Amino acid sequence: MTGTVTSGRDRLTRVTRHHLFWPVVALVALWVACGVVSPGFLDVKVVDGHLFGQLVDITRNSVTFLLLALGMCLVIATGGIDLSVGAVMAIALSVALTYIDESGDGERTSVALTAIGLALAVAAVVGAFNGFLVAGLGIQPFIATMIILVAGRGIALAFTSGQITTTHSAPFKSIGSGYVLGIPTPVVIGAAVFTVVALVVRRTALGMLLESIGINRTASHMAGVRSRNITWLVYVIAGVLAGLAGLVYGAPTMAADANNIGQLMELNAIMAVVIGGTKLDGGKFSLAGTIVGALILTTLDRAVIIFHLPSESKDLFKAVVVIAICIAGSERLREMTGLRRVPRLPGSPADAKVEVAA
Amino acid sequence: MQILERVRGSRPGGAVAVRRGRRLLDRRYLPTAGTVAALVLLLVVGQLRYGTDDRSFISMRLFSNLFIDNSYLLVLAIGMTFVIISGGIDLSVGGVVALVGLVVAKLLISGLPLPVVLVVGVLVGTAIGSLIGVMVQYFRIQPFIASLAGLFLARGLANMIGTTAIGIKDPGFEKLAAWKIKFGERPDIWYVNLSMVTAAVVLLVAVYLLHYTRFGRTVYGLGAGDGGQAAGLMGLRPGATKMWVYVVSGTCAGIGGILFAFYTKSGYNLSGVGMELDAIASVVIGGALLTGGVGYVLGTLAGVTLYGLILVVCNREGLEPWWNRILIGGILLGFVLLQRVLVARRR
Repeated sequence: MTGTVTSGRDRLTRVTRHHLFWPVVALVALWVACGVVSPGFLDVKVVDGHLFGQLVDITRNSVTFLLLALGMCLVIATGGIDLSVGAVMAIALSVALTYIDESGDGERTSVALTAIGLALAVAAVVGAFNGFLVAGLGIQPFIATMIILVAGRGIALAFTSGQITTTHSAPFKSIGSGYVLGIPTPVVIGAAVFTVVALVVRRTALGMLLESIGINRTASHMAGVRSRNITWLVYVIAGVLAGLAGLVYGAPTMAADANNIGQLMELNAIMAVVIGGTKLDGGKFSLAGTIVGALILTTLDRAVIIFHLPSESKDLFKAVVVIAICIAGSERLREMTGLRRVPRLPGSPADAKVEVAA
Repeated sequence: MQILERVRGSRPGGAVAVRRGRRLLDRRYLPTAGTVAALVLLLVVGQLRYGTDDRSFISMRLFSNLFIDNSYLLVLAIGMTFVIISGGIDLSVGGVVALVGLVVAKLLISGLPLPVVLVVGVLVGTAIGSLIGVMVQYFRIQPFIASLAGLFLARGLANMIGTTAIGIKDPGFEKLAAWKIKFGERPDIWYVNLSMVTAAVVLLVAVYLLHYTRFGRTVYGLGAGDGGQAAGLMGLRPGATKMWVYVVSGTCAGIGGILFAFYTKSGYNLSGVGMELDAIASVVIGGALLTGGVGYVLGTLAGVTLYGLILVVCNREGLEPWWNRILIGGILLGFVLLQRVLVARRR
């Protein structure tokens, strides 16, 4: 692109260096492997005007991860982290289902809509609390959001009085298991949220501001970036998206099991973001990578079934893939394989100086 | 940062240096002092509410029960203290506890001698810790992600070993688990069991390692936030230490896993879910800063004691179980705010 003569090797290097290269390779490899083992895997059929197929299922299931990971990605871009998202899922679902249950008239669309609105509002409040601790009081994001991670499930249980609230509401259920124009509703929700987030972040200066905060908060503050307000906003967004993820996740079963819903989801969401090529240090982030990350995690869940592995091996499988992707993307490996040439080892000037001194 | 200030503070002569030294002392001990104050407050409230004329709330019995229930957590939190002071984090310990419990249960059933089984159990923790350490140090993967992978690895392996609780019926193991020394007279009998002794030994070793050795100083140096450069310039070896803290934490998780197996007399792949958070919370409540560089092993002891005491009080109050979590979250919030105030005053 830069010159008229580009050797194949240069192009190869550029492709392999792209932050999406390894994640996409992993996803395609997984899909191909699944397709080989189970020939029908890659088929997508239209039955009764609805899309059906393994890939459609995977996409549908990945929406929960995607919603969580999108919010997480923005938070990570500012150099933060949000450990509370799993607990927020539980809180949002508990609020919505408790409201529907107590209204006694869940089949009315207005009740379902109010429940959704209420749940998202509560999720936003929790996000604002996180944002207040991080941006307002300057507490470390890890520990600030850990407070809700520890207490959140207790709050959710307090909403449901310690019960597993189950209720009926066709309109509410449809956000988890319905179809819009033949496409599963969660996928539509995920696509819509992604589009909005991508437009807002990439078509305005917001994305650049997020990255500048993540790279150097003080410098960007001095350059006139309202780092405090933006950081606050990002935690509210993450909270709302986590609430939405909780609703989409829980709607098909209509049961608010506050103890178990969203368990370990914060870790899965962070994993999706990291697999997608975003560094936890903050700064540059990749929304497209986040989609790939969410799809990889969901495909892993499915691949375990397809490969006839015991379902218990899911976590092991995940660990191996994450370690592999992290090590494949690590600079040390690139130095060793020569894909990336570094004149001197970064990060160890101290060692070098000590040796000189000695 | 702390090392540099300590050097500065120890410069001889001058009222400035003395004042600076005193301020340094205050800053270093204040979060832990807050924990101790909260402990005392909780004990006094407990004494007023639950103490009767013939039976005091504050008694050796209380502390004995507290540590019978929480000695495994203390060991985990001690390992976590090393990692947190170095500026890292170890999310794998809960998973390691589950894995070690299952490995011990399985190996005992297969008939291996007890001492071998216990050593293997601890080494399982060491192995996972080493793996995380190599990922963090050699491949420069962030501690959060590396230990997260360690968590999934440990849980995944535990799931592969078995998904049902395996009871441990080995007579030797049961003997060890039930071993205890009796103190005091009725009705104030209290015990010291093997888990408490083990935790105490780990505590002493940790105090020595962290506060009296070159390794310990390097751990504090790593937490200064410059990637160990200052520590390196002082002639310490930050690189290897960065790996070793995870080995220490993994080994502590291995020991904690065995203590947890003593406590539950079984191995179960779902045990220890969220235990890493309890450990991190205890360390933070004990006065360590998650940014690294600040913290004490004895502070962690106070943190775990406070954590256990909250559960005891919740239990005595007959509160619904979900209040435990909300209260611990609230206490965590309180301490984080306290630390924040202290840090703000420092600047």
